[in-house]
Amino acid sequence: MSADPLFAWLEASAFSIWMRESPSLWAFPGILAAHTVGLGLLAGLNGALDLRVLGVAPGVPTDAFRRYLPLMWLGLWMNVVSGIALVIAYPTKALTNPVFHLKLGLIVMSLLVLRATLRKPTKTLAVLSLAGWAAAITAGRLLAYTCSRLMVDEICT
Amino acid sequence: MIPFQVELERVLLGFPRVSEFMQLAWSWPLVESIHFTGLTLLFGTIAAWDLRLLGVARHVPMMEFHRLIPFAMLGFAINVTSGLFFLMTYPDQYVYNPAFHLKMFCVLLAGVNAASFYLARREGIARLNGAVSIALWITVIVCGRMITFYRPSGCRPGEAVGLLAECIVR
Repeated sequence: MSADPLFAWLEASAFSIWMRESPSLWAFPGILAAHTVGLGLLAGLNGALDLRVLGVAPGVPTDAFRRYLPLMWLGLWMNVVSGIALVIAYPTKALTNPVFHLKLGLIVMSLLVLRATLRKPTKTLAVLSLAGWAAAITAGRLLAYTCSRLMVDEICT
Repeated sequence: MIPFQVELERVLLGFPRVSEFMQLAWSWPLVESIHFTGLTLLFGTIAAWDLRLLGVARHVPMMEFHRLIPFAMLGFAINVTSGLFFLMTYPDQYVYNPAFHLKMFCVLLAGVNAASFYLARREGIARLNGAVSIALWITVIVCGRMITFYRPSGCRPGEAVGLLAECIVR
C-alpha cells in the first residue's frame, strides 16, 4: 500500500507550504538551525559524558553529568519538534529514503545506550554511544544527497 | 576590505588538489559529515565546561572539568580543516557571504572570550565567560546553517561598497 495520499495531504497542508515557501528566516532556515543546536546539546553533552567514561577528566564523578541531563532533554525535544516540522515540510523526501529510517534507528539506539550508561557506565557503552551519534549525524547529512523523491509528484534532481 | 576579500579568494583557489578531491562524488557529503561531527565534539565539550563555569556541578573542582578542553581543541581543529576544504573548493561562496562573515566574527570573539578567561581567572568573570561562550558557539552553529541561505551572487554596478562585500566581486 502506498503512503502517497498521506504525503500529498501533508504537502498540501498550510504548515508544510509555510515551511517550504515562506521567505522568513524563522521558517525552514531557523528550524534547520534549531535542529543543529539541539544536536549539539544532546549528542555533544552525551559525547562529553562518553569521554569521561572512557577515562578523560577522571576527577569529575560520572554522576556530575546528571546535572546536564535537563539540557540533553531540551536538545532531544528541540530535535523531536524541529525534526517533525522538517518531515512535514518534505514528507515524501524523508519517509521514502531508507537513509532516513537508518538515521532514526541510530538515534533510538544511541538513546538506549545513553539510558544504559546512566544506569551503569562502561567503556563499551561509551564507544557504542560515540559511534552511534557520529553515524546518526552522518546519516542526517547524507539525507540531502540520497533522496530519490522530493515531493509526491516531483523527483530529486 | 574588498581588496582583502579578492586576495583571500585568490589564495584559497591555490589548492587545486583539495578542490579536485572535493568534487569527487561523495567527498562533499563526507567532509560535511566530519564537519558536523567535529561541531558536536567541540560544542559538547565546551558547553560542559561553560556550564561548570556558570555554576552547574559546582561541587566538582573547576580544573577537573578543564581536562575536556583538549577535546574541544580537537573538535575545533577538525572543523578548521574540514571548513578550509569547503573554502578551497568554492571560495567565493564564503568570502562574500554575510552569514559566513558573522560566523567567523563570532569564532574570533569566542577566542577573545577564552583568552580573557585565562588572563583574568576570576570567579565573577568566569561566569560571564561561560555565558558568553555558550551564546557565541550557538550563534556560530546558526550562522553556519545560514550560509546556504545567503549564497552571494555577482555584484551589480554600485554594489560592494560596504565594509565587506556581500556579493561576488569580479
